Amino acid sequence: MTTTARPGENFVPRPGGPAGPPTASLEPHRRMGAIMRPALRRKRTREALTFYAFISPWLLGFIVFTAIPMIASLVLAFTNWDSFQPPVFIGFANFVKMFTDDPLFWQALAHTLYFTVVSVPLSLLIALGLAQLLSRPMRGARFFRTIVYIPALVPLVAGAMIFKWLFAPDSGPVNGFLALFGIKGPAWLLDPNWVIPGIILLSLWQVGAGTILLIAALQGVPPELYEAARIDGASRFQQFWRLSVPLVTPILFFNLITGMISAFQVFSQVYVLTDGTSGPDNASLMMVPYVYDSAFRNYNMGYASALAWVLFLIIMALSAIVLRSSRAWVFYETEVRQ
Amino acid sequence: MSATTTDPVRSKATRYAILTVVSAILIAPLVFMVSIALSSDRTSKQMSFSFFPTEFHLGNFVRAFTSDLPMGQFLINSILIVVFSCIGMVFSSAVVGYGFARIRAPFKGFLFMVLLSTMMIPAEVLLIPQFIIFRNLGWIDTLLPIIVPNFFANAYNVFLVRQFLTRIPSELDDAAMLDGLGHWGIFRRIAMPLMMPVLAAITIFTFTFNWGYFFGPLIYINTESKMPLALGIQILSATSSGAQTPPWNMVMVGALILIVPMVAVYHFGQKYLYETGLVSGSVGLK
Repeated sequence: MTTTARPGENFVPRPGGPAGPPTASLEPHRRMGAIMRPALRRKRTREALTFYAFISPWLLGFIVFTAIPMIASLVLAFTNWDSFQPPVFIGFANFVKMFTDDPLFWQALAHTLYFTVVSVPLSLLIALGLAQLLSRPMRGARFFRTIVYIPALVPLVAGAMIFKWLFAPDSGPVNGFLALFGIKGPAWLLDPNWVIPGIILLSLWQVGAGTILLIAALQGVPPELYEAARIDGASRFQQFWRLSVPLVTPILFFNLITGMISAFQVFSQVYVLTDGTSGPDNASLMMVPYVYDSAFRNYNMGYASALAWVLFLIIMALSAIVLRSSRAWVFYETEVRQ
Repeated sequence: MSATTTDPVRSKATRYAILTVVSAILIAPLVFMVSIALSSDRTSKQMSFSFFPTEFHLGNFVRAFTSDLPMGQFLINSILIVVFSCIGMVFSSAVVGYGFARIRAPFKGFLFMVLLSTMMIPAEVLLIPQFIIFRNLGWIDTLLPIIVPNFFANAYNVFLVRQFLTRIPSELDDAAMLDGLGHWGIFRRIAMPLMMPVLAAITIFTFTFNWGYFFGPLIYINTESKMPLALGIQILSATSSGAQTPPWNMVMVGALILIVPMVAVYHFGQKYLYETGLVSGSVGLK
């Protein structure tokens, strides 16, 4: 890691000058004792004020765009509010309705779980397989890596736009390809049973980002470990499964957590692929699209806030579970190396 | 090389075969996208696209901007959003990150924990009150709700700057301070030039996020002439009101215009991502 400043841009007041240890400037104060203490305190206060001036952009933004909205949405979750009339406090009614009297909520939750549980592990597996293939030195490795990574750079809207066409029931290439084998493809995005698999395929297309991280991790495995494993008679599969995989579990864990959190918040893909938030027979209605519908289609801001908070709590709970489980399966090198 | 013997995929030929098939599958959607973008208006109306390009109406890329479609306006709006967001995000993250890395103050540790914990809050929880705030400010149907929050830094970027600065020894700062330079002077004259790699990385992230940002514009912008490209092409593609077919070839031209800068930015910017230690390995886009 080098942190070279570019020549010319780097203004250095005294290049090469003796730079004392950080505490050097404080020494005289300390020696003079009680007399200088108020001065030191003033200096400290001034420094604290400088600190708050420096972080003020974030602090202000945090208060206005995060802290207040967070409290406001929690309060709103207990109201009925169309955003124009004053909100009406209704206690837990939003939550009661959600859990006992709103089939759409359960559908949205089930679809989101379905999408997450299938797409996240599947993309981890594919990323691991691709990374294993791409992490070895070979001719054309850079070319293949580029191809694998490019879809991950495609903005979701653009990706969804083309997948809509790939999945076109009659004229789309996917069904055209299936027809070559005599398979009559489904109507995909128009078929309640196939719309979510379609969305999953779009997310698998963008598997490159995770692959790149795993390639780096696999290349970081020390070759002498493989050497030792071979001498001990481990087969190639054993070397992969017992050595490579455990050593990259920290990256797998990172991909799992971030993948899960973003899968739970899927929106743009659904919106573009199904021209709206819900798909055929609400078959692709998911949590964030449902929040969006409640807030900006039905103007039920209170209910939408309640939905958002429930979603937040579910994400937190799932993350906590995965985090806890990680103690059992995530392997950190420092555990043995030190 | 001992590495080759550790591969469960035995032969080189198998590996090339698998990679070729996977690459073909991954690149196929983009081939089809180019094919649609290059097709004539007639083909587009009949929606009878072929997978591989058979027509080459390169003029579509010009016509997208010269016809009565608002594609040029979409592009201008996207550029406005990205430019101002990047300026705001880079400057605010640098200042805040410097504060957390180099200035002593009470409650700093606590505030840093608060900063980090904001990373866990999903956007939906804040969505509705933020919408109300922006509506009260009269900012609905402007680019402001998308641009302005970038001027207040964000947790991830502040964290990057702080980590970057704490890895640089502060001797220079102390020397400058003895020479009477205050924190602002040190920040401007010493820290900023040193931080260039991490600020470049933040520019890339901010660009990437805002260039394809769909959710924000969908909520805040209603007038077509104010939409950025990502929202604009979705609206164009959804205008199939009965008899009228969307101009699919133009939609795909727009989608390609959305993709190309992303690839270019990564291609030219990835070295900064390495320097910041964000990607420890080859991205392979050289």
